[in-house]
Amino acid sequence: MPAPLSPITLEVIVLSLGIFLLLAESFSRSEDKSWMARLSIVVLGVVFAWSFHTSGNAGIDLSKAFYSADETALFFKRLALLTTMIVQVMAIEYGGVLARFIPSSKTGAGTGEFYALPVLTCAGLMFMASAVDFLLIFVSLELVTISFYILVAYMRKQSTSLEAGVKYLILGALSTGFLVYGITWIFGLTGETNLFRIAQVLPGMLAEGGRLHDSQTPLLFGIILVLVSLGFKIAAAPFQIWVPDVYQGAPTPITAFLSVGSKAAGFIVLIRVIQPFIGLPEIGPKVMGALAVLAGLSLLYGNLAAMPQDNLKRMLAYSSIGHAGYLLVAVASTGPSLSTLGQSNVAVSFYLAGYLLMTLLSFLVMTVVANHSRGDDIIHFNGLAKRSPFLAFGMLISMLSLAGIPFTAGFYGKFLVFAAAVREHHFVLIGIGVVTVAAGFYYYLRVISAMYWQEPTDETPVTIRPLTRFTIGALILGIIFFGIFPATILEMLNSAPVQNTPIALQTSLK
Amino acid sequence: MSPVLFWFFTFLMLAFATLVVVNRNPVASALSLVVTFLSLAALFVGLNAYFIAVIQVLVYAGAVMVLFLFIIMLMDLKAERRRKFNLLAVGGGVLVSVGFVGELVLVLGRFKLGESPFPALRAEKIDDVREVGMTLFTTHNLPFQVIGVLILVATIGVVILSRRELK
Repeated sequence: MPAPLSPITLEVIVLSLGIFLLLAESFSRSEDKSWMARLSIVVLGVVFAWSFHTSGNAGIDLSKAFYSADETALFFKRLALLTTMIVQVMAIEYGGVLARFIPSSKTGAGTGEFYALPVLTCAGLMFMASAVDFLLIFVSLELVTISFYILVAYMRKQSTSLEAGVKYLILGALSTGFLVYGITWIFGLTGETNLFRIAQVLPGMLAEGGRLHDSQTPLLFGIILVLVSLGFKIAAAPFQIWVPDVYQGAPTPITAFLSVGSKAAGFIVLIRVIQPFIGLPEIGPKVMGALAVLAGLSLLYGNLAAMPQDNLKRMLAYSSIGHAGYLLVAVASTGPSLSTLGQSNVAVSFYLAGYLLMTLLSFLVMTVVANHSRGDDIIHFNGLAKRSPFLAFGMLISMLSLAGIPFTAGFYGKFLVFAAAVREHHFVLIGIGVVTVAAGFYYYLRVISAMYWQEPTDETPVTIRPLTRFTIGALILGIIFFGIFPATILEMLNSAPVQNTPIALQTSLK
Repeated sequence: MSPVLFWFFTFLMLAFATLVVVNRNPVASALSLVVTFLSLAALFVGLNAYFIAVIQVLVYAGAVMVLFLFIIMLMDLKAERRRKFNLLAVGGGVLVSVGFVGELVLVLGRFKLGESPFPALRAEKIDDVREVGMTLFTTHNLPFQVIGVLILVATIGVVILSRRELK
């Protein structure tokens, strides 16, 4: 067994891979650039395996660090790696469509970067998972967002893709402005950008005679501005306006990447950013209240607006707003103690792991079907069970899991979320949640009914590449396995030590 | 910095920032932005942050604005003049900005800390170029490296999205 690696080596390998791919592409003569995706899947897989054998935070003073490699961070890094690998599988499948919409002088020209940029984005997501300082949070968030601006607008000959890119760019820039402004307020008041340092200095500033004793409004203002920006990244209502158009217009693999990778990284940053504040009786409840409002709005808006959608991509966009709502319920159910914090984090992490599997599965099936039917409306899925029983079964499992049927990963995720909400007595949110779960059944089952009970418009069987078939099979097994044996992930999450948490503990709360 | 100069440059900055948005002619907008950048640089000088002030002028007022003007001159300006205002969008924008400013005023009203005088700047000269360099390459090196990757990605993006035909 080799000595454990310093955790940052993981990001360094991923970054080197991205740069290597860019260089190698310019020397490659082959027209088919999908070898880049295959190579990156292999290397990212090795990094994934390696992430179980790192030295963690040993010997690091987190109050002076930018980067923390605690168990939660490593878990989210693994989510990022897994997402990127599956997105690359999708990108191989999508290559034909992509080439049609790129202005190129010869076949295959300009497609190389489509396989290299997700790798660099993945490195950004991994940095976000570890960032414990506002500076690194900001920089890595920008790395991810800027890569997404490019990837969303990649199909330049398709006007919807360009429109999506412009909308995402303008609203993204606005939300970045809010983030920087919020960080400025927090830095101006506390004099620190490191979350651990902020947690250390805040109790003193709020105590009798401290700088913030008279009024916490400025600090709350800063926190709220940061929350606005993170709400944009995780696609929570009322910062969701961009979601449907961008999700529908972007190339399908990128939509999947946005809805899983960007959301997961946004949530880990959200969890970390609120940690210094939740233990403070003057501020914690207010922040939690704001998050609860966001959760309720996202649940209602996402799930109700998904019901009348006829385009599957657009429907999944709305449903992704709804899922951000469930996740926010778990975040908002963090009580001011380390054990409740741990439970909420476990609920969010588990939910995201399940969400990753089922969302990527549905997008992967959609990519294959859309290649054959030339469209991603729900009617294009009519009679899919006759054309390809395997694909239809994959979609069935992912829709059932998204809806939250027992024995799928989606069910146990929702169970953990509602358990956290019950513990914190968020009964309004639970009420909204029950209604929206019912709404979810309606629109997810619509897809299933189209696949199994409608007649196909086109009888040709759908062919699937072996790699895609393998990935779909693995995702189906994953969803069912983690639905029946959730303990396998939960044990990994529960072992995460909570002392790596920048929580401001006042004596009464210990 | 004397309060008179502070208010003068702040007013100049805000007035020209408004003009950037209000002007129908993009060239005039871009030139107003230059004035905004220059006033901001003056405010930095007032804080003894000479290095940032110089960078502000060189990078923003110099390089970025020249690029802006080039791009504007490549565009069809008449199309912009013919564009009608969407009254609903303008109304919504005004509503949001007024709301935000109102919130800001409210927060500043409760900001007791803001009423205490700004501590006097230290008299001795600070070698700020050296300080910035040391910070970037020693204590804050990790975010700096990530910015390097960010710029690489942005460069690739520009090439991909702007070339007429990809080879």
